[in-house]
Amino acid sequence: MTSNLFLRKVLGRLVRAVTISFWVMVISFLLIRLSPGDPAATRLGAGAEQEAVEALRKQLKLDVSPLEQFTSYTAGLFRGDLGVSLVNDVDVLETIRNTLPLTLTYIFLSVFFAFLISIPIATLIGWSNSASIVYSFRSITSVIIATPNFFIAMVGILLFSVQRDWAPVFGYVSEFPENLKYLWLPVSINTLILVAIISRVLQSSIVDTKSEEFVETGIIRGVGRTRFFFYYILKPSMAPTVVLLSYMMGTMLGATVILETIFSLPGIGRELVGAVLASDYPMVQGILLFFGVITVFLSFIGDLCAYALDRRVKI
Amino acid sequence: MKRIDTAAESSTRLQRIREWTALPGGFGIITGISMFLTITILGVIYPLISPYTSDEFVGDSFEPPSWAHPFGLDQLGRDVMTRTFAAVPADIGVAFLGVSIPLAIGTLIGIILGISKNKFFVSLVSSIIDGINAFPLLIIAIAMISFLGPGLFNVIIILTIMNWARYARIARTRAVVVLQQNYIEAAQLMGYSKRRIIFKHVTPNVSSESLAYALSDFILVIIIVSGLSFLGLAARPPAAEWGAMIADGRTYLGDAWWITIFPGVALCWSAISLSFIVEGLSRRDRGN
Repeated sequence: MTSNLFLRKVLGRLVRAVTISFWVMVISFLLIRLSPGDPAATRLGAGAEQEAVEALRKQLKLDVSPLEQFTSYTAGLFRGDLGVSLVNDVDVLETIRNTLPLTLTYIFLSVFFAFLISIPIATLIGWSNSASIVYSFRSITSVIIATPNFFIAMVGILLFSVQRDWAPVFGYVSEFPENLKYLWLPVSINTLILVAIISRVLQSSIVDTKSEEFVETGIIRGVGRTRFFFYYILKPSMAPTVVLLSYMMGTMLGATVILETIFSLPGIGRELVGAVLASDYPMVQGILLFFGVITVFLSFIGDLCAYALDRRVKI
Repeated sequence: MKRIDTAAESSTRLQRIREWTALPGGFGIITGISMFLTITILGVIYPLISPYTSDEFVGDSFEPPSWAHPFGLDQLGRDVMTRTFAAVPADIGVAFLGVSIPLAIGTLIGIILGISKNKFFVSLVSSIIDGINAFPLLIIAIAMISFLGPGLFNVIIILTIMNWARYARIARTRAVVVLQQNYIEAAQLMGYSKRRIIFKHVTPNVSSESLAYALSDFILVIIIVSGLSFLGLAARPPAAEWGAMIADGRTYLGDAWWITIFPGVALCWSAISLSFIVEGLSRRDRGN
């Protein structure tokens, strides 16, 4: 019975994720139509020859009716064909595949360290009943969250790259021990911001958990310290944090775009900015679609994790 | 007699303000509002009283901060202080429009969705809203700039097209709750027109929540506007805009930190002032 309910809930949530993905696809298809005038002519500039514009229109599949365009676009997606770059004729999916690992490594490292640091901070502050500690914790974290990451990056570069030669700002080497030299500063900046966000949510949900009845039961039953902490306090408090983190994923991907550009890391975010500056429409569309779909499915997975952690969560 | 009355009245008003400040979060709200007012007022007044204009070459490049130029001069010999304050309309102004227009449109659409009885229409629009909200705001703004072209005006258009959906979702959820309240039923029983109920009874009760979200969205949008300019996708040089100025100064970070740091501090100042207000209001809400 319980597993049946669980399955039904998961399936319902999956259907919603697929519906949203459909609209994500429609929106990224429609975007090219937003441009005032003909995108092909705009890209080639005013002095372009008529044949060249026509050829580009054909390449962008703008020469057929919108409905045909949409069906061929959709059919292409199911074949894994996101189009070809206008700049260097590279397959868009291939580019995503090449640039994604770095971005994922980078996000994974930041999230990992952020949890490692946030859990003890949030627990200690959630445990203390001193109003002034809680108040200064919330003020400091809100200042960190409100500070744009590119400004933190500038200060970081000023301190560690300009004054000391600890973090190179240009170039990147993808071999393992070497790449840490290039990654540590951007990862630290991202971690700092994430710590502020995660520890805030975790702290307030630990405060909420503390007043739950099952915590009292745990105390009365004399559960061992470690078990008490992990099962009675941390596990139920993690659910809101995981939900938040999955919703935050989008903002986090946005943040990596800026940090990758600053530190010239060849990830998917820098690829997007480069494609925008070069008016590489198929590349922009493809990366946008990818970002949209990945955000939808991360929030799906986040909701599932939260439900697994705490069955009272609505999904 | 009259004098004493006004004096008594003003003392109670002062007392009321003092009591209001003493409530939880009052200090944060007051600090935030004064910080925000300081930067906006300086942004309006300073360009008027400054001896220089924002794109005037007034001295040697990279002149460090001095009494004549408290924030120093940039790579082209422009006064960084004048430029920093001249950027207020570009950042806070654009962000304000980028929040208030979607707030109005989104709240209206959300209320319509909350009221509408047409199930097909509601589920169609709701799923479009979910689709729009699936995109990270910064990512879709960057992507749309490649089709619309760079510029601050286009940033406002992009925020209008993409940001309303978040407000619509909040307003819809809230409208459904408000419509079930007794006072709506009472208004219906009093025989008020549908329009009066929507505008006088539903909208004010829905918009309190939307406004609270708008305040924290304001921070996000300021960061997005300056972030886009930092990437060279919104304000273009020589426009005075914090993100663009930070990007400008980046190349000379080692020799002339002031080109980057002062606009950055102004940007942080604005965002942090708003976050103090948000923090104070939420503390007041929780009552501790």
